[in-house]
Amino acid sequence: MKKYLNRPSGPAGGRAGYIQVLTAALLLTLTGTAQTRYSVNGIVRDKASGEVLIGASISIQEIPRSGILSNAYGFYSISAPAGQYHLLISFSGYQTDTVDLPLTKNLEVPVELVTTGNQLDAVVVSATKKNENVTRPLMGVQKLTTSEIKNVPVLFGEKDVLKTIQLLPGIQFAGDGNSGFFVRGGGADQNLILLDEATVYNPSHLLGFFSTFNSDAIKDITVYKGGMPAEYGGRLSSVVDIKMNDGNNKDYHFGGGIGLISTRLNAEGPIVKDRGSFSISGRRTYADLFLKLSPDSSVSNNSLYFYDLNAKANYKLSERDRVYLSGYFGRDYLSFGNTFGIDYGNATGTARWNHVFSSRLFSNTSLIYSKYSYKIRINSNNNNIGLTSNIKDWDLKEDLQYYIDAGNKVNFGFSAIHHAIAPGILSASATSSFNSLNLQSKYSLENAAYISHEWSPTDRVHLDYGLRVSSFLALGPGAFYTYDANGNTKDSTYYSSGRVAKSYTNPEPRASLSLQLSEASSIKLAYNRNTQVLHLLSNSTSANPTDLWIPSSNNVKPGVADQGSIGFYKNAAGNRYEFSVEAYYKSLENQIDYKNGAQLIANTNVESQLLFGKGRAYGLELFVKKKVGRLTGWISYTLSRTELKIDGINQDEWYPAKQDRTHDIAIVGIYQASPKWTLSATWVYYTGNAVTFPSGKYQVDNQTAFYYTERNGYRMPAYHRMDVAATLQGKKRKKFESSWTFSIYNLYGRENAYSIVFQNDPDDPTKTQALQYALFRFVPAVTYNFKF
Amino acid sequence: MRKIRLVLILAATAAITGAACKKVIGVDLNNAAPQIVIEGEVANVRGPFAVRISKTVDFSASNVYPPVTNADVYITDSTNGIVDHLSQANSDSGVYLARGTVGVVGHTYVLSVTVDGKQYRAVSTMPKAVFLDSVTFALNFDFNNKQEINAVVNFQDPPGPGNYYQYTEKVNGRNIPNVFVFEDRLSDGRYIEEPLFNDSAYLQKNDTLVLTMNCVDKNIYNYFFTLANVTGNNNFQTATPANPNTNITGGALGYFSAHTTQKAEIVVY
Repeated sequence: MKKYLNRPSGPAGGRAGYIQVLTAALLLTLTGTAQTRYSVNGIVRDKASGEVLIGASISIQEIPRSGILSNAYGFYSISAPAGQYHLLISFSGYQTDTVDLPLTKNLEVPVELVTTGNQLDAVVVSATKKNENVTRPLMGVQKLTTSEIKNVPVLFGEKDVLKTIQLLPGIQFAGDGNSGFFVRGGGADQNLILLDEATVYNPSHLLGFFSTFNSDAIKDITVYKGGMPAEYGGRLSSVVDIKMNDGNNKDYHFGGGIGLISTRLNAEGPIVKDRGSFSISGRRTYADLFLKLSPDSSVSNNSLYFYDLNAKANYKLSERDRVYLSGYFGRDYLSFGNTFGIDYGNATGTARWNHVFSSRLFSNTSLIYSKYSYKIRINSNNNNIGLTSNIKDWDLKEDLQYYIDAGNKVNFGFSAIHHAIAPGILSASATSSFNSLNLQSKYSLENAAYISHEWSPTDRVHLDYGLRVSSFLALGPGAFYTYDANGNTKDSTYYSSGRVAKSYTNPEPRASLSLQLSEASSIKLAYNRNTQVLHLLSNSTSANPTDLWIPSSNNVKPGVADQGSIGFYKNAAGNRYEFSVEAYYKSLENQIDYKNGAQLIANTNVESQLLFGKGRAYGLELFVKKKVGRLTGWISYTLSRTELKIDGINQDEWYPAKQDRTHDIAIVGIYQASPKWTLSATWVYYTGNAVTFPSGKYQVDNQTAFYYTERNGYRMPAYHRMDVAATLQGKKRKKFESSWTFSIYNLYGRENAYSIVFQNDPDDPTKTQALQYALFRFVPAVTYNFKF
Repeated sequence: MRKIRLVLILAATAAITGAACKKVIGVDLNNAAPQIVIEGEVANVRGPFAVRISKTVDFSASNVYPPVTNADVYITDSTNGIVDHLSQANSDSGVYLARGTVGVVGHTYVLSVTVDGKQYRAVSTMPKAVFLDSVTFALNFDFNNKQEINAVVNFQDPPGPGNYYQYTEKVNGRNIPNVFVFEDRLSDGRYIEEPLFNDSAYLQKNDTLVLTMNCVDKNIYNYFFTLANVTGNNNFQTATPANPNTNITGGALGYFSAHTTQKAEIVVY
């Protein structure tokens, strides 16, 4: 905070200057609208299913700069002087529609678009003139369509949105058996993962082999790597905004899939035709059923499965009001006989109310609940121990969008999140070697208010700038400790319920600008600041379900990230090819690492185990995408560097972060071989993660010990892998569609290193050796999908 | 707890795909200048107590660690002021013996070592002894679902936090290379029945086990707790490896521990 205020001029000319510019610009645009204008508004939907379409492009043909995208609820609004116009609506994968627009009063024009192909296997994205990637000011944004996700081969044939986005530039795959991902050098906990606005704290199933997102339930996924709009906040590195299907509001449909390790089922249909709909999707894995077949009773007593359920319903109360309810529930169960078991999972719920105040003012109010919890049980000898931990959020959020006139829109709103974290409740039996323990819960409020302005001053310039102010309050009841340099408790102060123990306020300026050079090319610039008040503590080298979220406090300051980026965008061959290059520089403050041997589990003084420092990341991202034709796909390449400087680590010198990778390449190809067959392949390559290896050895306590000289001074072997899939479309009947997908993960069987351990040579006690573990060679899979 | 993730991941992979693969690989590791390693102890038993001084070698070298034979070694009982100048057991052994030092509970000992003009220093205070009740045996499944026999250490942890324990096992005269430590952070005042899990089955019926329980100070607990992550028999390190938190200042590896010690000799059943 202090540091920022003292800075002579920030990237936007200092905070005070920035706010003045913002206010002046807003006043200018608000006062410039005093002429007779009418507006047209409505919802854009899919004609067949009634699903609202997010991000459809709507413009008045006769008015330049009038183009706008439908919002998260399909809503659009455009204002113009009275006149006879045509409304042009287009959306990727749909036929462009033109509607006569006699604008002599405020009008409501609902729009229904027709898909270009059949939806189930639509890989051919329509050739409508789509150059939004060039014209929009947003940069660092990646969007994937469900058809792209559907056809990209994945492990066990289990379609996975989070795995698929990791094939995009700047988004790094964390490795086999790891659901975490790294965006532009940020840590895995620096990604805000939203499912219908609710934060999902642990996005992985089965220790990271799968993500928590059942792709049957997903309508839209957008990833912001930089230039985050002001309505998003709370994480330093990215926002992954995932929206669930609303459900068909015309007819009932059922679908599902049967795969080698899981079965999925979904149902959707109208609640009242054209007024409301519902959608329910569920899946359960049955890998553990194979365990049950084992004749070895010690194996058949093990369990290993997860299930999840997505449900959503919406209902139109009036022409101006619609309510949405959505929920997610998922849980993993892993156990080894009766000895050890862990179950963990997320639960989220979102209640939303869309209200159209006027044809120009759209409002959404959300009440959001999110919970993540885990439970460990250990039964061995005398010990009968349970350890649970959870994080519970309540979030009230208001978002308003005011459509001033063509090329001029203001977004504003607020959010207030109450976090309650129970770091650990240990319950032990009377005979146990452990005491029962209930660590003090931690309460906090994370508030934010924002305003931003999307503005096109000329045909070629688009600007999106705004300010988010976030405030964090660490609340009682509870004791807050201070520690000396050795981590011993110096002092503690007790705060009663509701009292503020510590607060932080952070202004977060955001701005992006695009300069259109031609119809098919543009340059964009963006700057944004993000802050993060929750921190995930994990001192193991990969994410665990038991990793602990802690709020900021008197000891732990909110993380701050400043990112600047510049990009060049070009479309070729009538927008059939997209090309982009983006460069970024990010600096990170108040980053967390751990003392050697840090005790994070069930530790009241967990904050005394932490070390603090800063980070920096920079890189270059190249992306080429072919959007139409029988062959579609993309190539992405990222050249990057990510470093940390933490007090007390590596002699306080900069060192490469684990996720520092020089090269990251992904190639994705999807080929429509015939109307029945779709073939796809991906190839990924990346430089091995930075890792700490020994530089010597010695003997102590009759054992070999390894000697380390620097943090992350070595590299894992480079990772590369090819996956292929083929989808066979079954015979299409009037009411029934089906398909088979065959896939092979890791086609050429590369043994990619999961970990490398150093040990005594079991065959030669005078020697030591390095042993590499790899998780997979080839993993074939087959999945049958159906829909009726 | 520290091993759970890799074990779970390997088990999960094995369950789903058959088996994970492992192989010995060559890794091109840097060589570092040899470092001084000091291992010293004072216990509440009859001396003499040994201080071993050796050097690190490169990873690719044989497990032969050159002794340091030109050290000047002192142990001072700073509670009663007695200074003991240690002499090498045999010339060239690198083992220095403290013949004049007596281990007394509550006394603080200072180790001072000078090698080639560089001085290393460590301080350790001998904690109170906690009575080792008994050693029993239990059958457990390890994470590979093989049955193994584990020794169980039974004792009453005294009230009040800050008790730290370290165990070693010797089976049929052979030291078991493993680090066993326990603290009462979550167990203050409980009756402790602590099974000693190994990575593989070391104990067989009718083996003779000599189990040693040491009550150590906090720094020594910390040393062994962090040592466990970087030893050659720990295949499942999870935290980023780093040199253990030593109580020796001056840049040497190793530890100096003043501790109480008890032994139990028992036939495995």
